Formats: sequence, structure tokens, C-alpha cells
Amino acid sequence: MSKPVYDRTHHEKKAKGVGDPQCFAGQGGTPKFKVGDRVRIKDTPDLFYTRCQVYARGAEGVVTELVYESPPAEDEAWDNTENVEWFYSVVFAQKELWPEYSGTFGNDTLETEFSERWLESA
Amino acid sequence: MSETRDRVHRHLDTVGLMQPALHHQTHAPYPDAIDHTLFKAYTRSPHDVGGEADVPIVYEEKEEEVWELNTFVLCECLAWRGVWNAEERRRRQNVDLGQTQYLGLPYYGRWLLTAARILVDKQFVSLTELNDKIAEVKKRYE
Amino acid sequence: MSGDHEHKAAPMVEEVSDFEVLELAVRELAIEKGLFSADDHRRWTEYVHTLGPLPAARLVAKAWLDPEYKKLAVRDGVKASLEVGVDWVNGMPTGFGTPSDYCNLRVLEDTPTLKHVVVCTLCSCYPRPILGQSPEWYRTPNYRRRLVRWPRQVLAEFGLQLDPEIEVRVADSNQKTRYIVLPNRPEGTEGWTEDQLAEIVTRDCLIGVAVPKVGVTVNAKRNIHPAKNPVHH
Repeated sequence: MSKPVYDRTHHEKKAKGVGDPQCFAGQGGTPKFKVGDRVRIKDTPDLFYTRCQVYARGAEGVVTELVYESPPAEDEAWDNTENVEWFYSVVFAQKELWPEYSGTFGNDTLETEFSERWLESA
Repeated sequence: MSETRDRVHRHLDTVGLMQPALHHQTHAPYPDAIDHTLFKAYTRSPHDVGGEADVPIVYEEKEEEVWELNTFVLCECLAWRGVWNAEERRRRQNVDLGQTQYLGLPYYGRWLLTAARILVDKQFVSLTELNDKIAEVKKRYE
Repeated sequence: MSGDHEHKAAPMVEEVSDFEVLELAVRELAIEKGLFSADDHRRWTEYVHTLGPLPAARLVAKAWLDPEYKKLAVRDGVKASLEVGVDWVNGMPTGFGTPSDYCNLRVLEDTPTLKHVVVCTLCSCYPRPILGQSPEWYRTPNYRRRLVRWPRQVLAEFGLQLDPEIEVRVADSNQKTRYIVLPNRPEGTEGWTEDQLAEIVTRDCLIGVAVPKVGVTVNAKRNIHPAKNPVHH
């Protein structure tokens, strides 16, 4: 097996003076969702690595912000940064997520982020 | 705390561990023993713990060890100089390490093992070089 | 489940730990192989020593005093950070942000009917450039397991109980965004200066497990697990 050659400056070249995720701005294409959209978290295969929490799968929430563009974590974790997606902040009602969540605290919510591949229209 | 109160809490902690348990041993089972639920459990990402049951504990602060700060700096320098990015580190450190080391090792113990591993995985050092270096460092303390 | 009776490891007074040995080995090898320099390590260590919760506290104090700055903080946390001396992109040796904390601070504005509290269920992501290093309890599997599902119970353990009608919103920082909480300005602070206001915005308030109170300028007292060879600041 031969030794691979790594370009250890590739991220610095892209992001210096610009920042991360700013360095991926404009590469995510047209966002599929907008603020206010009701979305459901898809439960697609997540072998080896994911940052899409299991507790959110199948749950429905509302997009509150289009936060930035970035390679999805599942790809970035292997330094595959060619495919950039829009990331969304989604708010869920806690009583939607947890069966025992008390109705007394019915206004409680949870907010977390998803890359576009994890979302579908609800 | 008085000696009696000390004894009381030691007792409560100890008897809490004395529970019957039906252990299910596993030594590489047949495929038909693994249903979807078990497959999902065994191939889980160990870091994804949100919503798992747990009990109230006393939350503490902790003094930082010199080696812990050095480890944090080591990991950030490796990313600064392009050996890896933070997401690669997290994947290796919080998932690839596996369920046992995930909960068995200290927080920064995982950072450190993961930094050692990236050097070998990306062939910046050979495993032999790493273990020789560990032996050499140990010798300095004899 | 956590909170178990500890197995007492063999005493290691004067003895170097496996972790210390490995840290030295890896650092020396990395430097020998030219992956980074000893100077890089020193510079990053110095950078880490500059970090703490004061800039975030000042951001909150400024926001309380200036409604336009508050709007900026909520709209663009990175831009607002510049006014408290924190440059998420250029303010550290990389020139592209810190590798682990990125450059997307979001300031979560509490209101009389909305209370935020922050966790990273997947690891322990934390807005280090503006808030310093995370507390030990924030990193525990225990906090990460429980806060998203039993937030009121966990907050009650921190001494915080909120009216049922208030929306308690847990922010789980699972990707590149890092959060600080902009708590409600407490009563009894009318006419206060920015410095006086910043003093009562503790790290625990900025995570969301406490609320600012007149006369309270430190985090709640907790046990501090000692280090064998502690970092001195």
C-alpha cells in the first residue's frame, strides 16, 4: 500500500479570513424549505455516523431559520466537502417528541439543526 | 458529613447496585438472533444520547489537568494544520471508539486516544513508531 | 445509568498517568513529524488562556442597554461579538475561526414568555471564543441525556423553576451553530451601567441554567473535583 499525499492547507486556503461555515456560502443551491414550513425528520439509514438525533426521527416541527450552508456532517466527517447543503433550524413541541411530556408544560419546545437531506414536507 | 451520615450514603449507593439482572451473554450470535431493534442498537452512534433515561446526579465543576489542556490544544493544532477537521475528530472520538470506551473512558481520554489514532490512520507515523515512543516516554519516569 | 459508586483506582500519587504518557508521546511525535510546531502549540495554549465568559456577559449587558444592539445580536451574533472584542473568524491563530467552534454564534433572546437553555446532546459543543471552556457537568452524558427530555426537572435541580405557561425551549447545538442565551433583564437594575449589568450575567446564565439576579455575580456553588496536576491560570 502506498502512502497517500494530503493537502493539509485545503481548508485554510478556502476559509482563511472568511470563516466556516461562511466559506461554503452560495454552494448549497436553492433551499428546498423556507421559514415557517412544517417539516418531518426522515428516518433514512444512518450507518456509521450521523448528527441527526434519533430522538427527532419521524417528528414534525417548524423551520424557524435557514442558518447556513455546509457539507453535511455525515460527509464532512470523512472530509468529503463537495456536496454542500442548506442547514435549517427546526422547532418541535416537546409533547410531540416525548410521550410522557406533561400537558401542564404544553408550551415547551426544542430547537435543533438539520441538513436538508433529513427533512421532508409534513 | 458525620461518620454516620457517611455510612448512610455509602450504604444507599451500595445497595442500589445489588439488583437481580438477567444477563444476556453474546459471543458472536447467529444472524437470525439479530432483529431490527438489536441491529439498530449494536450499530448505533454512541454519542446520540438525547432522551435516554438517567437519574439526577450531583453536577460538579472540575479542575483541569495539564494533560487535558495539552490534549485540547493538540487536537485543535492538528485541525489548524489540516491533519483533520473537527467533524472527523468528533466522528472518530465520539462514535468510532465504540460504546465501551465511550462510557468507560474520561472525556479527554477519548480526545487523546483519537489524536493518537489519527496519526497512525493517516500514516503520519507507523504504529510501531507510536508504541516505541510510548515506551520511550514511560522510561523517562522510571 | 450514571451516579454509581466509584471503583477506586490504585493510588497514583507521584506516578505519571497513562494519559500523561500518551499525551507527551503524541505531541512529541506530531512535532517531530512536522504536523505542527511547538510554537503553534504554545500560541494556541495562550489563545485558550484568554477565553472566558466576560465578553458574552458584556454582549448581554450591551443588549439590555441598547435595543438596536439587541436586534443586531439576535440577527447576527458574529457581527455583534465584534463589539465585545470577539472576532469569531480572525481572532485566533488560524484566521478561519477555531476548528471546533466554527463561526456561527446565535444569541437566543429570552422574553417574559420564553426561556432558553442550551445543551449539545451529541458531544459538548460550546461557544468557546465568547464564553470560555465548558463546565464539567455540561459535558456529562447525564446532562446531555436528560436536558432535552426533562428540562424542567433538570432546571429545578439547578434551582430554577419557571411558570407552566412559559415556553421553555431547549436548544440542542448539534451542528455548526453555537449558542448563548440572552436572559431577561431582572428588576432592580434600573440606571445600572454596562459594567454593573455584565457583573450579574454569569456563565450559568449564558448557558440558561440560571437567571441573572441582583447581587449574584458568581455561579452557584458546586463541588470542584480536584486535578492531580492542575492547570494554573
